[in-house]
Amino acid sequence: MTTPDADSLLIERIRRGESDAWNDLIERYEGRLLAFVESRLGRRGPSEDIVQESFLGFLNSLPNYDGRRPLEGYLFSICAYKLTDHLRREGRRPAVPLASSADSSETWEIAGSARQASSIARSGERKSLEEKAIAEALGDQIARWRERGDWTKLKCSELLFVRGWANKDVADSLGLSEQQVANYKFDFIARLRTLITRSEVSADVFPELYDSEEAK
Amino acid sequence: MPRVTQSDLQAYLDEALAPEQMAAVEAELRKKPELLKQLAAINARRDAGVHSVGEIWRRQRLSCPTRDQLGSHLLGALSAEQADYIQFHVETIGCRLCQANIEDLRRQQEETAETVKTRRTKYFQSTAGHLRKKS
Repeated sequence: MTTPDADSLLIERIRRGESDAWNDLIERYEGRLLAFVESRLGRRGPSEDIVQESFLGFLNSLPNYDGRRPLEGYLFSICAYKLTDHLRREGRRPAVPLASSADSSETWEIAGSARQASSIARSGERKSLEEKAIAEALGDQIARWRERGDWTKLKCSELLFVRGWANKDVADSLGLSEQQVANYKFDFIARLRTLITRSEVSADVFPELYDSEEAK
Repeated sequence: MPRVTQSDLQAYLDEALAPEQMAAVEAELRKKPELLKQLAAINARRDAGVHSVGEIWRRQRLSCPTRDQLGSHLLGALSAEQADYIQFHVETIGCRLCQANIEDLRRQQEETAETVKTRRTKYFQSTAGHLRKKS
């Protein structure tokens, strides 16, 4: 298994210009990146071109790469960016209007607090720290579910929050009652709110945990 | 399958949905151009520093099995509960990155060494020239 330490050492060697290390990185990651792109494009040639561009993009971004960030995720994100760009050029993916040019009625505001989004605009560093704090808390919760064999709670929360499914759809998919799903959701939100308070992260930046019916 | 959700739109922007889900979102976008405004609103929320639990969960890969576990899954070497969860994560959640890892592991058994070597050599030769320059 590739450990974060192994990746850090590899990156250090690549930064020193060692071509063997660069070759190792390509060997380690090209297959999964190609599978990622090809699953969407369905054509080998252009998919290989995008992976090639991604490796080039990685080298170009290397001076700014934060070694604490998992390498695999970073490479996938570069690849996703290159793929998105390609799909846009092919006309398969629409260009999303900039937020500022969206209809004013769509301008986002924190529900219930009447504050403009701009009033909570945060620096990238601040956002990263908030995300890190919550990711650690979420990761602990997921690890606990796994240790206890609470697979249903894990699946339920993943469908609710990662896929955004409604309680009824989750209940149907997992063979639960809607009440059970609502209970799991209530417990999970309550737990997250506690963790957010403990992490001293502002509740304003997680409106979904404070505005939903289950959270009240 | 439920309609396209807000979470699906968030993941769509990051090219993080499974290919069939990406296609489903694009089909919806063609039918309902107003969904573009929703995508723009998601970008606006992100710009404003608002987080989403699902986005963090997905981006940080908090429930993704390791690559070793995915390999063991392909070999049928995991417990029934672990295998069931991985199947759920890959198929029902549609984790695109785990799908890519699984497909890569499968291909390693199928592709000839020559094919793989040719491809890797192409990547190396077309990028190595940038190595020292950028380091």
